Amino acid sequence: MADLQELASAALAGAADGEAVEAYASEARRTQVKARREEVESLSQSETRGVGVRVIVDGRLGYAWAADPTEEEARGLVAAAREGAQHAGEDEANVLPEPAPAEPLPDLFREAQAALGPERKVALALDLERASVSEHPEVGKVEEVIYGDAVSRVALASTTGVSGEYARTDCWCVVIALAERDGETQTGFSFASARELDELDWRATAAEAALRGARLLGGRKPESEHLPVVLDPWAVTSFLGVLAGALSAEEAQKGRSLFADRVGEQVGAPSVSVVDDGRLADGPASAPFDDEGVPTGRTPLIDAGVLRGFLHNTATAARAGAVSTGNAGRAGYRGVPGVSPTNLFLAAGPDDAEAVLRAAGRGVYVQDVTGVHSGANPVSGEFSVGASGLRIEDGRLGEPLREMTIASTLLGMLSGIAAIGSDLRFFPGGVGAPTVLVGEMSVAGA
Amino acid sequence: MLEESLVREVLSAALRSGGSWAEVYAEERGSISGRLDDGRVEELSTGLDRGAGIRVVSGGTTAYAYSNRLDRGSLLEAAAAAAAAVTGGDPVAVLDFTRPEPPVTHPPEEPASRVGRDRKVEWLREADDAARGVSPEVRQVVAGYGDSIRRTLIASSDGSWVEEEQHRLRLMVQVVAARDGILQTGFDGPAGLGGVELLRRTPPALTGRKAAEQAVTMLDGVPAPAGEMAVVVGPAGGGVLFHEACGHGLEADTIGKEASIYRGRQGETLASTLVTGVDDATTPHMWGSFSFDDEGTPAQRTVLFDRGVLTGSLSDRFWASEAGHPPTGNGRRQSYAYLPIPRMTNSSILSGDADPESVIADTAEGLYAKALGGGQVNPATGDFVFGVSEAYLIENGEITRPVRGANLIGNGVAIMQAVDAVASDYDWRPGTCGKDGQGVPVGTGSPTIRIARMTVGGTGG
Repeated sequence: MADLQELASAALAGAADGEAVEAYASEARRTQVKARREEVESLSQSETRGVGVRVIVDGRLGYAWAADPTEEEARGLVAAAREGAQHAGEDEANVLPEPAPAEPLPDLFREAQAALGPERKVALALDLERASVSEHPEVGKVEEVIYGDAVSRVALASTTGVSGEYARTDCWCVVIALAERDGETQTGFSFASARELDELDWRATAAEAALRGARLLGGRKPESEHLPVVLDPWAVTSFLGVLAGALSAEEAQKGRSLFADRVGEQVGAPSVSVVDDGRLADGPASAPFDDEGVPTGRTPLIDAGVLRGFLHNTATAARAGAVSTGNAGRAGYRGVPGVSPTNLFLAAGPDDAEAVLRAAGRGVYVQDVTGVHSGANPVSGEFSVGASGLRIEDGRLGEPLREMTIASTLLGMLSGIAAIGSDLRFFPGGVGAPTVLVGEMSVAGA
Repeated sequence: MLEESLVREVLSAALRSGGSWAEVYAEERGSISGRLDDGRVEELSTGLDRGAGIRVVSGGTTAYAYSNRLDRGSLLEAAAAAAAAVTGGDPVAVLDFTRPEPPVTHPPEEPASRVGRDRKVEWLREADDAARGVSPEVRQVVAGYGDSIRRTLIASSDGSWVEEEQHRLRLMVQVVAARDGILQTGFDGPAGLGGVELLRRTPPALTGRKAAEQAVTMLDGVPAPAGEMAVVVGPAGGGVLFHEACGHGLEADTIGKEASIYRGRQGETLASTLVTGVDDATTPHMWGSFSFDDEGTPAQRTVLFDRGVLTGSLSDRFWASEAGHPPTGNGRRQSYAYLPIPRMTNSSILSGDADPESVIADTAEGLYAKALGGGQVNPATGDFVFGVSEAYLIENGEITRPVRGANLIGNGVAIMQAVDAVASDYDWRPGTCGKDGQGVPVGTGSPTIRIARMTVGGTGG
């Protein structure tokens, strides 16, 4: 098999004069183990690779990709992309980045993890399932227990002189625990990730999933009223995902962001800071450079409640007369780079989660929200989403609640943040959040 | 795609160290897609995906290995990796292959591959022009086009050999309309198994217009009321409700893992007697249809609710054998990179007798949900939530003001029991259903239905 960087360079050989051509090559070796009833439910292993080629002629963009091409096929991708470019519209912002040195992040790749055979992984999945069903008397089963990992490599080469390569290892585990009482079933979700298996805190994942399922048993619909709402980190990240879209310069430039034209304005409470950092050592989305070769960095987006700027790739930066923030992201080799967050998070506050609950007094604690992708409008910021959680009485968690909705607007929620916990955690995809108290939201049930 | 002798060799290698059944799944998919945004065709993209996965089953354990390569060496390597994960049991022989006739095919009348890229770009422009022509309040239009040809070969040690070629075509238009700082979105788009004929029947300009009209209409919206009320769901919308609220709980893995509210309840009346619900992969050219599922089982129609009585569930090979039933042809996967799992195909509530206009006229007060957005369900409890992308108030039996920000919250069993009217105006919509990280094309359909009472979540207090 050809070296990944060689494959990317081979694709460039098809470039003609006056064309800007970029080749992105990636490969991954993945393992996934699912365990159930003390047995391996499935063990899946894979090796995949592919190349995607961008061709820009006179500001017109074409793209072509192929799974595991030969070097000859890789060169042929340039011709296919060129043909596409002939039918695309002209945009002078369609430019490739100039080369810039990216400081390597050697800690992203762990030799020990890359060399690990399936035996340890299978054993971990079985241990994880056993732990998940031993935590709580009402949690005797799981819906899903997964251990997964990936060893991935990315290589880039372009006619502007960009050339780079990096490797990373990732592993993670997921538990969906089933809690049962008197014919009622509730599910509890938890997740952890790390660079290598030995650093994966799977025992905490098992315990948390069991707790989150068990404490919802016996839930009732709440009355409809306006109340303080405490969102746990997982629930907060559901909203941050929508906010991340609105913080993309691409969305702002196209008038699809509620933050458009608001840089410098107060958009949240003074305690609110939102940051994108592509270089966090433990960040699930860290990389030395972004998906078009621009070095990653730390970008303050909202600072003390004030909107500071947007996430940029090379094209959106060219359009805005700005500098790329290193946030080009793509669906692997299959897609053209757009704008994506890396590790995007709401910065931690001073208080522990218990203090945030105490600050709420009487209210609602939300541990899961559903329907954010359909129930929140990223343009207007209005949302009404399903939620499950617990009542808060006298600053402590009380009885469970179900079939509840919470409604507000994204800006209303950001402005209404009254306390932020110190318990910042990251979730799949790189979104991170601590526990948050929102002063008032519309809570509906019956 | 692959020689029979090679497939036989790979299956034998996969079963070398044990296991009762093995399968080769090979796939090639060529695609073209284009995107128009802000009046400009942003790019045209050509893709070639291919890969093969080898699966070995031994008791309750499944081993799977896949790569992008279809050559002999890579296939044997994948077979060895899968074989290494299962041990024990007597060696099983690979039976002679037989090729079953497909129960239904969905050939294109005019394959999209015969149409030039210039024409495809033109469709995007037609949709854009039509959307912008609806109102000066239309602020943004994004139009997406895609077509693909997917070839699959699925062969297993029990002698099944299935090959299929699927042509798909899809157009999508999303519109943002603005007035006085208020922004609203609209969406529409046809999709089907077939070719260019789909766009002759549903021209791009019509799609653009419908998406724009939805966005502009919602600008007049008042905040949705919150609370319990009668909800009339428009044609096709009830299919989304049925898919989320019932369908996921009837997928055999959910039942087998004891995570479904419907487990052990076959034969019980769990929906209104007005409700007959099916999953049907045989409807010609529908978005969720096929000839064979992704493990070679012929496409099938499964009645899930017969006049309210729970009569079926949806299974792949693995979960069917766990339950001791024949598979229902619902083993689906996003691609060679995934193990098949039980999935819906086209799930629908079938038409009843009521006249849709009289259903609304008979509703004193309530919500008319004309178009539903996405939804989510917890199959263990049956609790679900849906966004409503186009909704109106019903006042004194008439559809009046549009409302925005509404969603529907409830419990699948309770909602289906509360259906008190089913009309005769069946329609369906294409969609992508996500489960366990895999997206597969599905259809959802229904006539106008009414739910006597359900919870509407809104911002209107």
